[in-house]
Amino acid sequence: MKPDAHLPRLSPLSGILLLGPFLLCFALFWLMPLIWGLDLSFRTNGLYGPGDFIGLENYRFILEDPLYKKAIQNTAIYTICSIGIIIPLGFLLAHLIRQSFTKLQPILTFCILLPGLTPPAVLSILFLLFFHGDQGILNRMLIMPFGMEPINWIHDPQFIMGSLIFQSVWRWTGFIAFFFLCGMDALPKAYTEAAKIEGSGPLRTLFQVTLPLVKHIIIFALVFLFVDAFSMFSGAYSLLGGSGGPGNAGLLLVTHVYHTAFVKGNFGDSSAIVFTIAPVLFLIIYWIIIKPPIKFSNYRD
Amino acid sequence: MILKLSIPGRLITFLLTIIVLLWFVYPYAWMTLSSFKDNREIYNPLTLFPNRFDFRYLIDIFSGKYIDLKSALLSSFLISGTQAIGSVLISASTGFILARYRFPCKQLVFLLSISLIILPRQALSIPIFEWMTFLSLNGGYSSVILPGFASGIGILFFMQVFKNLPQEYLDMARVEGASGYRIFITFLPMVLPAIATYGVIHFILAWHDHLIPLLLLDDSKRTLPLALATLYDPSQRVPQAIVMGASTLMVLPVAFLFGLFYRQFKSAISEVLVH
Repeated sequence: MKPDAHLPRLSPLSGILLLGPFLLCFALFWLMPLIWGLDLSFRTNGLYGPGDFIGLENYRFILEDPLYKKAIQNTAIYTICSIGIIIPLGFLLAHLIRQSFTKLQPILTFCILLPGLTPPAVLSILFLLFFHGDQGILNRMLIMPFGMEPINWIHDPQFIMGSLIFQSVWRWTGFIAFFFLCGMDALPKAYTEAAKIEGSGPLRTLFQVTLPLVKHIIIFALVFLFVDAFSMFSGAYSLLGGSGGPGNAGLLLVTHVYHTAFVKGNFGDSSAIVFTIAPVLFLIIYWIIIKPPIKFSNYRD
Repeated sequence: MILKLSIPGRLITFLLTIIVLLWFVYPYAWMTLSSFKDNREIYNPLTLFPNRFDFRYLIDIFSGKYIDLKSALLSSFLISGTQAIGSVLISASTGFILARYRFPCKQLVFLLSISLIILPRQALSIPIFEWMTFLSLNGGYSSVILPGFASGIGILFFMQVFKNLPQEYLDMARVEGASGYRIFITFLPMVLPAIATYGVIHFILAWHDHLIPLLLLDDSKRTLPLALATLYDPSQRVPQAIVMGASTLMVLPVAFLFGLFYRQFKSAISEVLVH
């Protein structure tokens, strides 16, 4: 952050009134659970609560669990695939909307935002019917007319991940496109007009002029989608109910944490899982937000 | 007027409208209309309109035959609404001083806000569960509402919003002798679009929250996603129309709120994204 010498100093009273609530909530409802969780991860599960201190035993145990590796693998695939599809699609969608009939644009914009309002639980149930083994619309319309066997999307381990990714794409593409739209609208026309004068075609202008100028939106979208993907629980839970589904193909990290804690009853291990992931998350997001290796902000400083 | 657009423009408009309608809107339309169909019609997703508008499923939903809809709606509204209000106030005040003042440990506070984003509440759900049991708040509404007050994206959002506020207004207020918190209260009305925007975003996120309410709330205080999850029954005892109807009712309030504040939403996001 730039040095703030030019900013006025905060009086103590204002400091308490304006900063106090945040610090209180942070300490009480984020920091305390964090410390409690850390402590929990170092203990066994006693009869009435946390048991004896056993150091890193829990960590050793969970790292050897094949389910753990599966959960991480699944979550990584889910995150990378959804981000990799949503951001480019959203960008293209925003561009296409801007090229269409002006009076229609607000309506189109509103429509693409609608999926973002759906709770993941509803989405799972909705797509269950669309993806249904025999009668679902996807099989009826796209697969069977071609004479292939209907794919059992939900129960076939290979396609569970696909359906989860599909849900995520359906939900967030419009939202991200909306952000790109706002960013593109705010760009001074001078850039694209200059490119046109210089003889650049529409595709080239899109990728070499517009795209670099909306890099800060891409960063925001990256962080937003990344955190959302890693904390996905509701969709998988409504679809598969607390477990990983056949072959554990649908086992995501949070589902694994939930399962270890409330189905297996193992609170210490569950906390340990969270704290093996937390540093990785921290590093990744730190790398994206605070220390970008490339200069992302072109026209600000 | 559409003829003024070039030919590629017209083609794109046409194709895009079709795609958008099919891809983004059709599932909703289908879901809403499915509340009136019987099971056979639902399992044939190509039929959009029911043969006969059967209202008895809706009546069953509202009469509480399968799920306690009224209590679930109330629960969701209470939790999401309170979280939204509290989160807006806290995020706005913190964002305000981060953007416009200097104070000791400012970098630390900024780092704390970022760490709120990095570790989402879902990751801390187990410790939150234990902590709430320790505080004897387990099962009540406050166990879900209170952790939702501190929000990292809210603080970053309001930081951006207050950075965009013209310096002249703040100088004027300072000349008049107002200090920190008074300036904040005075300028809250000026950033109403941003407040509406973030309030709606937080409301929606809280409305969708599944894990923390699942762990912390009593069965009697179930929120809508939880109630819906109990309906999902592979053995088909519950008519699918009920599930579809309940789902529609879950999306409706949020869609309504969103439509209400859409204009503010659009303008606030545009402002924040310009930097």
